[in-house]
Amino acid sequence: MKLFDRIRPAVINGLRELQANKVRSLLSMSGIILGVASLVAMVTVVQGMVGNFRQFVDAMGGIEKITVTRELLPKEQEHLAELSEGITMRDVNRIRKTVPLVDNISPEARVGFERLIVEGRETSTYVTGVTADYLPVAKRWVEPGAGRFVSDLDVVNMNDVIVLGSAVVPELFAANEDPVGKVIKIRGRRFTVIGVLNNIEGTGMQIRSANSRSGGGAWRWRNSGALIPVTTAQAKFIGNDRLTGLGLRIGDANLLHDAVEQTERTMLAGHKGLRDFAITTNEQTLEDFRKTEAAFKLSLGGVAGISLFVGGIGIMNVMLASINERIREIGVRKAVGARGSDLFLQFLSEAAVISVVGGLIGLVVSMGIVALMNYILTQALPSGSVATLDWLIMAQGLAFSVVVGLVAGVYPALRAAKLDPIEALRHE
Amino acid sequence: MPALIAIRGLRKAYVMGDETVHALAGVDLDFQKGEFVAILGPSGSGKSTLMHILGFMDTPSEGSIVFDGQEVAKLDPDKRAWYRSNRVGFVFQSFNLLPRLTVLENVALPLLYRDNSDPAANAAAAAVALERVGMSHRLDHRPSQLSGGERQRVAIARAIVGTPSIIFADEPTGNLDVKNVDRILELLGSLIKEGITVVLVTHDLAVAEKAHRVISMRAGLVHEDRTR
Repeated sequence: MKLFDRIRPAVINGLRELQANKVRSLLSMSGIILGVASLVAMVTVVQGMVGNFRQFVDAMGGIEKITVTRELLPKEQEHLAELSEGITMRDVNRIRKTVPLVDNISPEARVGFERLIVEGRETSTYVTGVTADYLPVAKRWVEPGAGRFVSDLDVVNMNDVIVLGSAVVPELFAANEDPVGKVIKIRGRRFTVIGVLNNIEGTGMQIRSANSRSGGGAWRWRNSGALIPVTTAQAKFIGNDRLTGLGLRIGDANLLHDAVEQTERTMLAGHKGLRDFAITTNEQTLEDFRKTEAAFKLSLGGVAGISLFVGGIGIMNVMLASINERIREIGVRKAVGARGSDLFLQFLSEAAVISVVGGLIGLVVSMGIVALMNYILTQALPSGSVATLDWLIMAQGLAFSVVVGLVAGVYPALRAAKLDPIEALRHE
Repeated sequence: MPALIAIRGLRKAYVMGDETVHALAGVDLDFQKGEFVAILGPSGSGKSTLMHILGFMDTPSEGSIVFDGQEVAKLDPDKRAWYRSNRVGFVFQSFNLLPRLTVLENVALPLLYRDNSDPAANAAAAAVALERVGMSHRLDHRPSQLSGGERQRVAIARAIVGTPSIIFADEPTGNLDVKNVDRILELLGSLIKEGITVVLVTHDLAVAEKAHRVISMRAGLVHEDRTR
């Protein structure tokens, strides 16, 4: 007899037993239900957080980005403060020459939080001086039809041109108005809008913002701001040739450490040994997060694992009780020709049916838990994360419950298989 | 014609604590095809043990059993299960129908454990067996919805559904009222026309008298073997 032909009646029988003992079956399933529900819900929520964070790191330039910022001298070098000339375009040229691992260097000169005025309207946002290299380093672009970015020529000529973040546009212009070519005043200077940066939207996992506006959306902080040529910023606002920082993009994230080391040496050499800068990467942030993620997964996995284990014990307990009640049935089945393996299969199938049904109920419950958590998170925190259920996780949760059911069913099923038919028939 | 079952020197001993109980102390018997036999004896006489061994539910300690030309005294459990499913039918005092299954499913149960079991064919065979015992009108009922006599007729249908060579009926009328006793015994007796050997195991002389041959057992031995 093919195995499937033997399993089919056993499974049908299992469903009947379940139906005949609804309350008892539900109780025995409760552990599995809780286990699967917590497993799926927790993994989903944790994955939601992970996805959120990945996007966050990516929005900060990803793992291939190195940031060089100005820093106060350490205590032992404080007396040399006069010699510090800060970060300048000279550093850019030195790094370009001596650190081949770096593909792009984006010098940035922060002007500050400025008022942008168009006739009748105004808004305030961060204005930063940049070069054409800003785009590859920040992983940004200007959509076709949305104008152009700051060019090398703009930098050389110190042009009064400005590129707006997508969230700034609706605050200054009407919806049907093309901002490109319009003039914006900053501190009385007239800047011509040459382009609008691409709009960053969170994908999949969303960071919801209670005050999100059109054009801003989920990643509002990345979509605001305005960019002008770095030379314009230095000459017309800052008044010196200092930069506030450098963004470096390297080609190969695996060589991050080498690139950091080379950059540091180059900077130190150029600054006569003065440590008036700091080099940071997103690696540490990512690493911190990975640890948090691992800790979450471990503890939540532990909780889910324990409830699944308890669920397994519940199933085993009910199966043993069920077999005790059905000793006569086992005797009858054996008397009419059932082998030990037939009864083993029958009771294992019953355990499997309980665990599958319990697992399915658990999945439904997990949907409820995830929906509830999303609701609470978005209510409590304006920027709470929203998790979505993944079919793969659900399939894994179900698979877990089936494994637990089968393992828990083995011992009772073996007991049933080994019962002596004569003894079983005599049982009252 | 060779006997359906020929047993020689059959012994069965149980160890109970320090004592060894000889349930069968050397039994020689032949059963013919289509015989209606009663095994009569008080409890402890060894009649149940004999039935269990001949019904492939138990194995003897010693002796030989030739069933249909095959030596079957020492078979492994799966092989014995095959014989129970294919060659033997049981009728019990307490009917032993499964309460969750319908009448039809109860009767089809022995076929479920056969090789190449086919649900549709099993149901059809079960319907035929139920027709034979006059229970066709109750196919979808549960055992609890039937009277004692009806339950025993269903149990007989279950015993014959697999076209066995031999049926063992263990006190089949013990739980029935007088009216039903005769009908059930008549039904069992009528099965021999189909070539089935019917073995009635009882301690009730009145019941045993319905059989054509009565074997009396005492203390694990055949005390008397008479054919009427």
